[in-house]
Amino acid sequence: MTVSVESDAATGRGPATRQGRGPAGTRRRRRGLAAWGFALPFTVLFAVFMLVPVVSSLYMAFTDMRGADLKTPFAVNFVGLDNFAAALTDPKFLQAAGNTLYFVGVAMPLTLAIALLLATLLNSGLTWFRSVFRVGFYAPVVTSIVAVAVVWRFLLQPDFGLVNSALGVLGIDGPRWLTDPAWAMPSLIVMATWRNVGYSMVILLAGLQGIPRDLYEASSLDGAGAVRTFRSITVPLLRPTLLFCAVITGIGYLQFFEEPFVMTQGGPLGATNSVAYEIFNQFGFGNYGLSAAMSYVLFVAIVILSFLQFRLLRPKS
Amino acid sequence: MNKTPRLAVVATASTLALALTLTACGRSDEGGGTTGTDAGSAVSEGPATGTVEIWAMGVEGERLPELAEQFEADNPDVTVEVTPVPWESSVEKITTAIATGEVPDVVQVGTTLMSGFVELGGLAPTPENIDSGAFFPGAWETTEVDGTSYAVPWYVETRVLYYRTDLAEKAGVEEPKAWDDLKTFAAGMQDAGADYGIALQTRGDSTNLMYFPFYWQAGGEIMNDEGTEFTLANDAQVKALDFYSSFMAEGLAPQVLVEDEKLQNFINGELGSYVSGPWDRANLLATAGDDFADKFDVTPLPADERSASFIGGSNLAVLADAENPEAAWKFIQFATDPATQVDWFEISSALPAVQASWDDPLLADDPSLEVYGPALETAKSTPAIPTWAEIGHEFDLVLEQVISGDLSPEDASQQMQDAATSIGTGLR
Repeated sequence: MTVSVESDAATGRGPATRQGRGPAGTRRRRRGLAAWGFALPFTVLFAVFMLVPVVSSLYMAFTDMRGADLKTPFAVNFVGLDNFAAALTDPKFLQAAGNTLYFVGVAMPLTLAIALLLATLLNSGLTWFRSVFRVGFYAPVVTSIVAVAVVWRFLLQPDFGLVNSALGVLGIDGPRWLTDPAWAMPSLIVMATWRNVGYSMVILLAGLQGIPRDLYEASSLDGAGAVRTFRSITVPLLRPTLLFCAVITGIGYLQFFEEPFVMTQGGPLGATNSVAYEIFNQFGFGNYGLSAAMSYVLFVAIVILSFLQFRLLRPKS
Repeated sequence: MNKTPRLAVVATASTLALALTLTACGRSDEGGGTTGTDAGSAVSEGPATGTVEIWAMGVEGERLPELAEQFEADNPDVTVEVTPVPWESSVEKITTAIATGEVPDVVQVGTTLMSGFVELGGLAPTPENIDSGAFFPGAWETTEVDGTSYAVPWYVETRVLYYRTDLAEKAGVEEPKAWDDLKTFAAGMQDAGADYGIALQTRGDSTNLMYFPFYWQAGGEIMNDEGTEFTLANDAQVKALDFYSSFMAEGLAPQVLVEDEKLQNFINGELGSYVSGPWDRANLLATAGDDFADKFDVTPLPADERSASFIGGSNLAVLADAENPEAAWKFIQFATDPATQVDWFEISSALPAVQASWDDPLLADDPSLEVYGPALETAKSTPAIPTWAEIGHEFDLVLEQVISGDLSPEDASQQMQDAATSIGTGLR
């Protein structure tokens, strides 16, 4: 921030230094150049790796560009909103959108609820082992999805997997978790929750530790029980932290891709195909225009979800 | 903060710049990709000179320098540089190379990947004096996109039926020759103790490659002779879909096949037979030990109206922007010479694409290979069109629904035709 303010002042916006006449002007201009020099690495990186891809994907979304046009990316036709219309009427895309909403609708509240529960437990009791549990629950977040997938496939294996063996002891005949259209998505929801709960838990735990002890003492003096304390002290004071976790989790979950990619390839019968996976497939088929349009539909969905979360969870002042 | 005006200037400037570039937009009438139907000019006589840069994938990339040494010995003024490229990133790397013009001279192209690179305008047409008749017809067809050949077949593979000889003996069943035999065969395997008589891919990528041989056997063709229209909705399709899915419906094959477990189940005797390519022999012996060689054998896929299997492998192509095309074609001529093909088989165990090489004692006398020669003569490939990956993906989804019983073979056959037609061939 200082850099941009400095540059505004130094490049001669003020009336006294216009055109940098006189020794003071030269000095300021030099300082301006220095400021730009400092800002340059970021500006260049941002322009090359952010601005160019964003602008070109927007350009692609409105053209009929295919993989074969790579050599001559400007020799394509503008097709207006055709790509968006094609995406929104494609049954596969609509199924993927439905699956993604199902996933976000179940997995996001589940992740936040479990993360909050774990954080509360770690904050109240278990202080001795806190760091052990914190590492334990955070480990899945930093573990490679490929390794995780191998283990989970073993766990969910229908005949000798741990889950179905355990159910078998109880006399329950477990389903074919990953290949049954009704059970594949719930399996992935559990897996994704397990993978991501540690992140929110750590953030929420930090938030909980920031709540002053004396508020709890005061509420217990007033005769509030555990539930009342949780509802009237913990949740209101944790709102900003919850909002942060909800937004980050929501953005990540709307781009649901890795779990179906490594576990089910979007099957069975398209039951775990997600919007991000469909975009990935269409890019692979060389339909650059269509997949860019799909990406922007997903982007709009993310904006809407984040907006709703800000409205619902903003701190009440 | 008076940042806004400057931002506005930048925004206006970039919009202008974009608008200026965009005025050059719009497709030209000729289209950018394919270059018509003219064959390349002939390869000249005499030794090759200069540097030949070759990109090869996987094992081929590791072993190719050995073959290149022979070429360098024959042509003293030539240097061959081989760059191994992993299969997983090969499409990306070659596409990037073609788009930027920074290309090698020769590239190994998987038979099903040809059309994509041709569509980009990246490959040079094959010179007319390379004899297409020397190769397996199915292999040569994979080099042709829209009527023009852009590569030369290098090595081939085809799918056959792996089966447990001990179980077949116990059940008293013979190697299946016709479709009905395959049913009896699988049922017999199951009576002899296997959980499943046969394994056929049920879902996921490339399910269609496992299925199409049955469609071809029933007499079907994916496209018409001119390669302009799809011919998928017909009785052969219904018959083949019905036959393929009946194995799962009757419990002769797993309703949902887990590919990772296939090999182990076969070794344990829980699976009687499955369809795979020549590479699986080495996999089986590596996993189960060399003694296992006595317990299994391979046989061609059974025939219905005719016999057919899927042909795969790799071609060698010269890039359109190659710096040394002359020497590049000479290297390809050398690599596809019948004698070199036998040497290459010795080096890499890749099956020769040149038919004459199969008369060499090294191949002709190898009992583990005798099934492949005849199978290759009738093996076919999927159409070399740029949209095939997308169409194949649609077929995978349709096949999964037929196998699960959600879609009747009749509806599925029409759905395949509609899906393929709406996606189109991608050729201009």
